[in-house]
Amino acid sequence: MNFVKAVQSLVDGRVEFVIIGGWSAILHGSSYVTNDLDICYARGTDNLRHLAKALLPYRPRLRDLPRDLPFVWDEVTLRNGSVFTLATDLGSIDLLAEVTGIGDYSEVRASSIEVDAFDRRVWTLDLPGLIRAKRAAGREKDLRLLPELESLLDAGE
Amino acid sequence: MRVMRTLGPLSPGKLAIAEDRLRNPVPGSRIEAARARGVDLTLLIAQLRLTPAERVRHMHDLSTLADEVRGAARRGR
Repeated sequence: MNFVKAVQSLVDGRVEFVIIGGWSAILHGSSYVTNDLDICYARGTDNLRHLAKALLPYRPRLRDLPRDLPFVWDEVTLRNGSVFTLATDLGSIDLLAEVTGIGDYSEVRASSIEVDAFDRRVWTLDLPGLIRAKRAAGREKDLRLLPELESLLDAGE
Repeated sequence: MRVMRTLGPLSPGKLAIAEDRLRNPVPGSRIEAARARGVDLTLLIAQLRLTPAERVRHMHDLSTLADEVRGAARRGR
């Protein structure tokens, strides 16, 4: 996963997004190892166009779709769905319009914090928001991360 | 007025407090519970000493290494 290149491309493409999931945990100090980039994105028309354009050079396709089936990556495709699990030349990227336990992009953004990194300014869930999202997601891999995230929160307060 | 919040490296004072809390968890605390559940708190201390960008690069290097090991294991089968 080329996380840095992916994030730089999204920022340079003027995409409104928030980093969520494992890479958000890492930004906060987690020792979690992850391979995919999860982002929450705004559903506005301009943003869907920017998002489609920013990822196009990296040949996005759906991970669960057989390789020989045709897949068109554009803003219309984005408009017709809300969750996309993509394989790209940069690695796996998951796009979510909403985050369980928090809400849509505007609510996620309100629970986020700005990070100055990789010569860009990006947004990621703040630690309380990330903990809320992981708890609400409720999958084993999410719950396993909670003791570490709560330790980081309590250590830093 | 909305206050702009940014995530950056911990100041030396905050880092010292965080390290102390992670090294010497208060009995009954969530940090102590995490240690009891197997969370390696020394890894968190090491990560907190870095800037957010350095944390990403460090974990990115580990992830790449893990991929290489998995690839080598597959090729060796």
